[in-house]
Amino acid sequence: MSGSSEHAAVARVLLASPGTQGGIPDCGRALQGHGLALSLEVVRDAPACARALAAGDSQLLVLDAGCASDEAGEMLGLAQEAGLAVVVAALGSGPLELAYWGSQPVAACASTGAELAAAVRDLLDSGGAAEIPGSVLPSTAILRGLNVALLAIDAAGRISHCNEPAARILGTRAEALQGLPLASCLGSPVPEAHPVAQSLSRGDSFEGYETTLLRADGRNIAVGLSCAPIPGPGGDRAGVVAVFNELREARRMRGDVLQREKMASIGQLAAGVAHEINNPMGFIHANLAQTAEYASELRQIWSRVEALQKVALAGDPVQSRVAAQELAAAAEEVDVSFVLGDLAKAIRESQEGSERIRHIVQDLRDFSHPDSSEREAADVNQCLDSTANIVWPMMKHLVVLQKNYADLPPVPAYPMQIKQVLMNLLVNAYQAIEQRVGRSGEMGTIEVETRVAPEGVEIRVSDDGVGISEEHLQRIFDPFFTTKRVGSGMGLGLSTSFKIVERHGGTLSVESEENVGTTMRLFLPTGPAAPG
Amino acid sequence: MSADSPLVLIVDDEPRILSALRRSLRREPYEVITVESFREAYHVLESQPVTLLLSDYKMPGMTGLHFLAEVARRHPAVVRLLITGWMESIPQQEIDPVGVWAVIDKPWDDAELKDTLRGALKAGPPVPA
Repeated sequence: MSGSSEHAAVARVLLASPGTQGGIPDCGRALQGHGLALSLEVVRDAPACARALAAGDSQLLVLDAGCASDEAGEMLGLAQEAGLAVVVAALGSGPLELAYWGSQPVAACASTGAELAAAVRDLLDSGGAAEIPGSVLPSTAILRGLNVALLAIDAAGRISHCNEPAARILGTRAEALQGLPLASCLGSPVPEAHPVAQSLSRGDSFEGYETTLLRADGRNIAVGLSCAPIPGPGGDRAGVVAVFNELREARRMRGDVLQREKMASIGQLAAGVAHEINNPMGFIHANLAQTAEYASELRQIWSRVEALQKVALAGDPVQSRVAAQELAAAAEEVDVSFVLGDLAKAIRESQEGSERIRHIVQDLRDFSHPDSSEREAADVNQCLDSTANIVWPMMKHLVVLQKNYADLPPVPAYPMQIKQVLMNLLVNAYQAIEQRVGRSGEMGTIEVETRVAPEGVEIRVSDDGVGISEEHLQRIFDPFFTTKRVGSGMGLGLSTSFKIVERHGGTLSVESEENVGTTMRLFLPTGPAAPG
Repeated sequence: MSADSPLVLIVDDEPRILSALRRSLRREPYEVITVESFREAYHVLESQPVTLLLSDYKMPGMTGLHFLAEVARRHPAVVRLLITGWMESIPQQEIDPVGVWAVIDKPWDDAELKDTLRGALKAGPPVPA
């Protein structure tokens, strides 16, 4: 603890105020306004903070966290490294009860000038010790407002805190768990491999770990859990803090995101499909108009037939001959044999057109359906073909599609998800070509290749489009990363594809060179042991 | 059809569209030839006195607009029209230099289609801008 013995009449406080302009920031004025005798040094970025800390005469750091930023996090880290107590001030942000800012413990938080002054005074009075509030663990009040299930375990392995969301998932009341041994929510004996147990015994941290917790009713409940040891004052462990959520909920949300992304891809398809529906619609529409005309022409002929029938039945040979001549003339005028032949043809072609529309709609419906929960033996070549059929109409004027398929073994997969990935790859390839050639009249080539790889199958989709710059290449699998103009993509395509491929135990990788093209390589394992 | 009646050439990669168009224009005072590719269209343009050319927009390998631009260079006297089912409207600044008389939407209205073709035949080839 540097400087703890030197604080005297005028305490020296560092005010880290990242991103602010000159002058004393609001929280500095708040401190001065509350009659604290302080020497305030304002630092606005991490290097300045590091220099001030190196001088070693500061007793306390007030972090002005009006807006959280990497810089603020960095300064917090610096102060903690230097062993300095940190007060986080987010004035005007509403009640702020955090014992951890980011993931790092802080001495106090303040959302008003008065709170800030009180916290600073307390800390200076106590020698500025960088203590975690509640001596080793965050207070219940801090946890109460947190909308995440949170458990805190003390060094002795007892539940020291449990907030409402946690109690709800564990099927009990928060107070009921207070002070109980770990076994009450991990099971008895406490499984050594449980992340919370490992955190407590070995100081390991876990993030997004899928495990179970024991409910009050004796059932195990699947949770996604992150936990980390709480560092104690002397470098030992003061306990463990764990946050978790019910996996059912998490799974459902993951399903929602997938479904939403799938619907977004369908939006992307809509333009191409609209064209594909428009063609049959166009000729069905025209054929129906023509059919109506044929019907009216045939009706005219029929009226002549009726007239002839009438005079023939009356046994009038002269009138009969006249009527027969009129019928023959009308039939010639209308070209009855052509009309009858073409009528049948128009109807047949229209039936075929409506059948095509039905297929397109069915493809789309299949595509928008969530997969069944079971994997099936998927024929990847067939997946590729049916996906290419869907996207082909939107790209045929710009693209030559070359298929080079090998005989592939079946792959255990969710076929619609695989098709979604393939569609994403094909549409990306098309858009890369579209970007390169514009409306110049040039063509691009998409090459689709499949082959047998060790323990799986490999699919390559190569294009000769614009390519991806090196700086973008590292980010293309990030969620929401997009270079497309607003409205033409959510930036979820590749990140979703990546997740789908991971779920199949496969890999998705990219090679690209600007202005040369891109190759996406998808590997799917054939083995039954692929994680699900 | 008399020997001096105008000749209308229609290009679309969808044979059913061609068939329906022939049906729609059956009683019109001009002869209709339909082909499924630009290659065949060039062949007809070079061997027969085509008066009017109606081309689909989204064709494999090239857009109808690029094709019409080429036709404008090689056969400037041919009246040029586009037919398109593509929902995206084609920017006017791309259509203008090609000298396209009209853009017809799919699905088309028979009466409108006939009126447009008659009007185009009457007006003769537009002067490219």
